Amino acid sequence: MKAFVNENPGSIDEAVMLAQAALREGRSVSFAGGGTDLLQLVKERVPNRPGSGVPDVLVNLKRVAGIDQVTRNDQGGLTIGGLTSLTDLGANPQLRDRYAVLAEAADSVATRQIRNAGTLAGNVCQRPWCWYYRNGFDCYKAGGNQCFSIAGENQLHAIFGGGPSFIVHPSDLAPALVALDARFRVAGPGGDRSLSSNDFFVLPNEDVAHENVLGDDELLVSAVIPEPSGEIRSHFYKIMDRETWTHAVVSAAVVLEMDGEICRTARIVLGGVAPIPWRVPAAERLLADQRVTPELADSVGIASIEGARPLAKNAYKVPLTRRVVERAVLAAAARA
Amino acid sequence: MAVERMNTVGQNVPRVDALERVTGRAEYTRDLKLPGMLYARVLRSTVPHARIRRIDTSAAEALPGVRAVITHETHRIPYGSGSIAGGRQYSDPHKDITTRLRYMFNAHVRFVGEPVAAVAAVNRHVAEEALGLIEIDYEELAFVLEPEDALEEDAPRVWSDGNLALDSENLPRPIGSSTGDVDTGFAEADRVFEDRYTTAFVQDAQMEPRSALAHWEGDKLILHTPTQGVSNCRHDNARDLGLADHQVQVVCQYMGGGFGDKNGSYYFDLIAAALSKDLGVPVMVELSRKDDWLGTHGRWPTVQDYKVGVKEDGTITAIQMHALSGMGPYLRRSGNIAGMDIYACENTERVIRPVHTNRMVSGNFRAPTYPQGYFALQSMMDDVSYRMGIDPVEFALKNIVRPTAEQPFTNYALDQCIEQGAELFDWAGRWNPQPGAGEGPVKRGAGVAYMMFNARLGASSAIIRVDSDARYTLYVGVTDIGPGAKTTMSLLAAEELGVPLAQVDIVWGDSDRCPFSVGESGSRTTTMTGYAVVEAARDLNRQIAENGMPEGDDVLIASATPNPSTDGKLRMGFGAHFAEVEVDEHLGHVRVTKYVTVHESGRILNPLPANDQIRGAVLQGIGQALHEDLLYDANYGHPLTAGYYGARHLTHLDAPEIENTFIETDDGYGPYGAKSVGESGIIIAPAAVANAVFNAIGHRMKDLPITRDKILGVLT
Repeated sequence: MKAFVNENPGSIDEAVMLAQAALREGRSVSFAGGGTDLLQLVKERVPNRPGSGVPDVLVNLKRVAGIDQVTRNDQGGLTIGGLTSLTDLGANPQLRDRYAVLAEAADSVATRQIRNAGTLAGNVCQRPWCWYYRNGFDCYKAGGNQCFSIAGENQLHAIFGGGPSFIVHPSDLAPALVALDARFRVAGPGGDRSLSSNDFFVLPNEDVAHENVLGDDELLVSAVIPEPSGEIRSHFYKIMDRETWTHAVVSAAVVLEMDGEICRTARIVLGGVAPIPWRVPAAERLLADQRVTPELADSVGIASIEGARPLAKNAYKVPLTRRVVERAVLAAAARA
Repeated sequence: MAVERMNTVGQNVPRVDALERVTGRAEYTRDLKLPGMLYARVLRSTVPHARIRRIDTSAAEALPGVRAVITHETHRIPYGSGSIAGGRQYSDPHKDITTRLRYMFNAHVRFVGEPVAAVAAVNRHVAEEALGLIEIDYEELAFVLEPEDALEEDAPRVWSDGNLALDSENLPRPIGSSTGDVDTGFAEADRVFEDRYTTAFVQDAQMEPRSALAHWEGDKLILHTPTQGVSNCRHDNARDLGLADHQVQVVCQYMGGGFGDKNGSYYFDLIAAALSKDLGVPVMVELSRKDDWLGTHGRWPTVQDYKVGVKEDGTITAIQMHALSGMGPYLRRSGNIAGMDIYACENTERVIRPVHTNRMVSGNFRAPTYPQGYFALQSMMDDVSYRMGIDPVEFALKNIVRPTAEQPFTNYALDQCIEQGAELFDWAGRWNPQPGAGEGPVKRGAGVAYMMFNARLGASSAIIRVDSDARYTLYVGVTDIGPGAKTTMSLLAAEELGVPLAQVDIVWGDSDRCPFSVGESGSRTTTMTGYAVVEAARDLNRQIAENGMPEGDDVLIASATPNPSTDGKLRMGFGAHFAEVEVDEHLGHVRVTKYVTVHESGRILNPLPANDQIRGAVLQGIGQALHEDLLYDANYGHPLTAGYYGARHLTHLDAPEIENTFIETDDGYGPYGAKSVGESGIIIAPAAVANAVFNAIGHRMKDLPITRDKILGVLT
């Protein structure tokens, strides 16, 4: 393990200041939530922040109070602190009741031990699990200038939105949050800002080294889920290579706004298929003002793979995505 | 023969060391601390094939806390383990003539993960930091990853004289065997089938990252290391270090799993010994999890071409296999592929070429030559039975080997295992006569496989001492690698001595304090060392009968080194596995929904661990069938899926309920008729699962592992 300085700030402001100070001194910084993945990267000396390498300073957020729970906000929606554990998210009755997609996504992450320590912000901001990046290849994600998967082993890589990097976004919460149209509160040197979760993630053709808009001295403080205008039915469906402790081969977060048995609007966001949580608007549109039937779900599945561009070894993800979407839509609609 | 009820043997006996293991009191190698001890870490090659032009250790040496940096330039110690337990490389005569000697560090590196240097420092963090300061100038060479590619004429040379493994006479001859004449057999056949099956490299993935702690007392090396055989480990290390056996003491009290390739020494034993010798203090070499994955061994991958001749009635007339085994760059073990002797067919031919590549080194993994062989052979035969329109169970019963006048067995139960398993599993109800039939998307299928595995007898030793307090101390050179050898040895002694288990103490895992043992591989600890325990106990009983119990400070001691034989009979354990799988054709997802095993392993000495051994082995076999692989990037020769996460090992949630039944017999050989258990369960699990997948989807999956991409690939 590389030696590092461990800072334990008591507030978000202090955390940002410590990060800024370290960056000014030319030291690399990472914010640590649960640390379940970050410490692994540090142990393996995989560069966490592209360009600045393995962190010299860890700003450990565990003493920052007040951002580790789910609260109802003034607008009737939910504010979820960035340090809320995945276990707490999965068990939260308000989420289970009204935003099942998020609770199910949290429950699907890794293992119980990791969910106990892992946080919402950490899950959303984790670095890719591409085996090239994780094995020390000097790829785009490590600050280098190529993607080794293109001519290599790309079984688990992107079929949408790839290029020049073909990683898939590893977070299970991210598709659920985008499907719920969450807003993210980000703290940084310029104070707080709020942005749509949809705008938080960036494709490699915009910024190849990063998966989101956060600067090195910025952190995700909380997610705000808006009050839906009607009844919502949602579901998170995740395909894994074994029953637990892997990332999604393909996942689908489906949120249907219902009016009786008629779906008014739908949001379908895929995981495991693109460098960001991947919305499939053509598939969403098919559901607008429709009764959800098996035939419609089949069409929605087919629409969801329009424009897929598989690499040499991941063509299986295309039919798989179709079926995952079909089943996730049916399961969401079947929710009482 | 039915088994008679006994006192201790046959009861469910918890492990004698369970309490210290679960309370954390058991000291594994890495827990040990000695005064003044230093910690060492190993630097490994980051390229698959290169010559080291220059290696600069000055910056590492200058790091405060670093005590020594060693490389191929400072130490030229041959590393030749593996000669005793089955591999052919570097037996004493071979070591003198071989053209392919491996050293502790090699200037010519041949795989990613090969050790190139080691650092000893005041703690593990400084040692690891120093590794990053060692500069190596590699002259990179072309590399080759696949056995078939390695045999192309213009293939990169892993060794300058070719990529075929050499035998003990330095000749690139294939291994294998033949019986009868396959051409005659094919001529007799009504139909001949040919196909190719492949299996992937799978890591043993035992839990304890390996470590070795060495210190010297004068010219004597004391080595603590997680080994499956203190005697072999001592001999291997002594030979490599130019010492007599008595100058090396090997100690292994607790270890986190064996699974096959530890019945011998490792290069990190030599690194610990060399650093400790140079520095005059104890040195602990620690492997990281990733080191432990890439710097050790796993099952050799294979490419197997089969040709099978069959008569119209389903009788097999000839079986031919031509195969390649990928050994990595060094021949650690045999590369053999087993299984064909399960059939009565008189005309057989196995020709196997162990091939060198620039992947990590292959070695022994639980039934080293079997699961890959049985997967291919019994997938092939399963396929043949369908093509002939014969139920696979019927096909099996028609063709399996049976005792003959020329080749008697000590006892035989293969047909019984198959028949009883078929009934317990409800083969007739679960098997689809039309594979792949049904609407889907979720389809069920059933598969069968059957095997036998050696339960041979052989030489080993035991000593038992009794004092005037009637404490019996048993000395055996075993290490407890998982199956519970300490408990088995103790309960055998208690049974024969006619005393409660609590009166027996055991001394184990120490080459100075214990007599010779064959080591915990080949599932032979019980049949060989266990038999010696029974013999020693008998001798002690005789002494007590003659002299009475010892009084005062006196003790009685009995020792035994029996070398029993089976009078020319084959001694085998038998087994049949029945798997049911559910395949979701839309998702390519396979789930094992039912798994029934019937094994005949002689008398079961301790049902508790025996059943666990079968279950654990089946799970490893299912992992090999459905998940595990070590993917390499073809452009860079670098492994990508090392580790528990990457290899997708089975988790508890993936494990089906495994219903095991033992058919108990006493063939009159071995300790009370006990046979081998530890390896039996893994042998046919991949074949049973693969055959069930075929029965479910109607597509024969010929390449392990049977992953989602392959299933969706054939279905869409």
